[in-house]
Amino acid sequence: MKLNYNKHKNSIFLIFFYFLVFFITFLNINDYGIHIEEKFHRLNGLFWVNYIFDLLGLNNLAEISQTKIDQIYDYTLNRPSYYNKYGVVLDLPVAFLEIFLSIDDVNKIYTLKHLLSFLIFLISSIFFYKLLLSRYNFFLSFVGVAIFIFSPRIFGDSFLYKDVLFLSFVTITIYYFNKSINIFNYRNIILLSLFSSLSVNLRFFAIIIPFLFIFTSFIKKDNLNNITDFCKKISFYILFFIFFLIIFWPYLWSDPLNNFLNLFKNLSRDLVDVKILYNNEFISNRLLPNTYILNWIAITTPVLQFISFFLGFIFCFLRLIKRFINIKEKSIYNDFWRGKNEETDFIIFIIFISFYFLFIFFEAPLYNGWRLVYFFNIFITYFVIYFISIIFGKVKNIFTKRTLIFFSLIIVMININAVIKFHPFQSIYFNKFLSEKTVNGYEGDYYGMASKHFFKKILSKNDSDKIYVAVASHTPLQRGIEGLPAKDRKKFIIVGQEYQMADYIFKNNISEVNSRLNKKYEIPENFSKVYTFKVNKIIVYEIFKKELTR
Amino acid sequence: MKIFFYKALLIFIFFLLAFHFSFNYAVRIVKQELNNNISKEKVESIKLKIKNEMKTAINKENFIKPDDAILINKFLDKIKSDLEKRN
Repeated sequence: MKLNYNKHKNSIFLIFFYFLVFFITFLNINDYGIHIEEKFHRLNGLFWVNYIFDLLGLNNLAEISQTKIDQIYDYTLNRPSYYNKYGVVLDLPVAFLEIFLSIDDVNKIYTLKHLLSFLIFLISSIFFYKLLLSRYNFFLSFVGVAIFIFSPRIFGDSFLYKDVLFLSFVTITIYYFNKSINIFNYRNIILLSLFSSLSVNLRFFAIIIPFLFIFTSFIKKDNLNNITDFCKKISFYILFFIFFLIIFWPYLWSDPLNNFLNLFKNLSRDLVDVKILYNNEFISNRLLPNTYILNWIAITTPVLQFISFFLGFIFCFLRLIKRFINIKEKSIYNDFWRGKNEETDFIIFIIFISFYFLFIFFEAPLYNGWRLVYFFNIFITYFVIYFISIIFGKVKNIFTKRTLIFFSLIIVMININAVIKFHPFQSIYFNKFLSEKTVNGYEGDYYGMASKHFFKKILSKNDSDKIYVAVASHTPLQRGIEGLPAKDRKKFIIVGQEYQMADYIFKNNISEVNSRLNKKYEIPENFSKVYTFKVNKIIVYEIFKKELTR
Repeated sequence: MKIFFYKALLIFIFFLLAFHFSFNYAVRIVKQELNNNISKEKVESIKLKIKNEMKTAINKENFIKPDDAILINKFLDKIKSDLEKRN
């Protein structure tokens, strides 16, 4: 059988693109450090594996997992039984793999997790591409998926199986949301219920997706014409959603209803209440300004991309207002959209705006930049492409069209350039038009990704058998030691804020208190700065050394 | 009916928005001010400043200027005498 190149050239190009991205990333995956929550997630996975083994009466395996839990646990972590509500979408399968494949080297476990997290992200980007392709041509869909993957902060975090893992599942959920609204059949509804339940498992606030789905399918004309069928399918969706939610969340197994309600009850206990560095001031994360999310997106997204997103959103909003004004009691069209394309725009718009206002109305105590809402990358990219497509639609001149193609590629190239320039610290990216003072007036390396870099730096400066390190920031540096080979780990003794015991002090700008008033992270006078690690203008961390010998 | 539903929904959203950007905004500003000015950290920092000033005072040979010393002395005497009168 002969392959028709012309017919399949887009697919071949896409396969080549994905292969290249995966191959390059695979070669560089070890450059990434250990983030401060790796231990918690490993513990979380093993805790639930242990629970399942116990439940199934597999005592030997339960014992193995319990031994591992006891080995991992340290003073910087809460017991998983105390903080047991976190989702298990990736933690649990990796914990299974860790036990069944007998992987003992912690670095191998983390690398496996990074790789799987990135793979899931890449797979979700295919769904995003398919969503775009159902609306735009191949070129715009490809530009969209490239922006989606190479948005610097998103790319950097895609290995960390936290916020970008949620982004990945929300992307797939939105794809099936759109597909189910478009073709309201049982197959799509089951898949939507599966992925929406997995998203809720990862981040509880995704619970609004089912409500939005019911609302959107309710206002669709076709469904209103056959209300019995609509009710049947929605009931089907709700049942399957609950079923999958329980199946994939061991936390709910023992008492589904009460445990689910406990999520709300313990919300105030579980939500973080700290001071954060924002715009050069320490503010409480419970009293964030309304512009917090928008401001973070603006400063950590390449400028052209942000402007395109903003204009795309405005255009979409204006068109929706126009549709709203023209709603008639009787009409052959849907009220908010005309045709399949506008339907997709409406879905994206309504999900985005609902989440955005949910965070604002409930004064969500965000922290660490906008990482909790990294799933907004779906909407940001969508509106960028929406904006470009509108301009494309308006111009007739071939020269202007080529300029637009060039403009689209420039957005992608800026992202790729940032990804290369910031490697492996893409997760602290700020756009280059900001001054040094501004970028350092916001939280930097909150994930402690640079701790591996720090320890290696110290090892290159000091060959003692025991090195005492203090930490002048709210970073559990202890956990970063796992990024080192076993023989080097023993050399370091972390003494917290007992500065006078330390040979070196690690400092970054992460603080849970106002460190201008609270002196717990103040460097003692007998220490002097010996090294500053900067990525572009951003100070990632500083090393202070004791002037007197111990 | 349909238009009524949409209008009601829109009014509800506008009401929420107006409430959030007026009342909630004002409450947040007040909370922020309180948080900034009478937080535990602020009190601790004032205590620390006072302690530092006290240390500085102890180390100085003459902390209070002679004129001020006379004035404070007289003032304390005055208070003492007034209190004695009351007894």
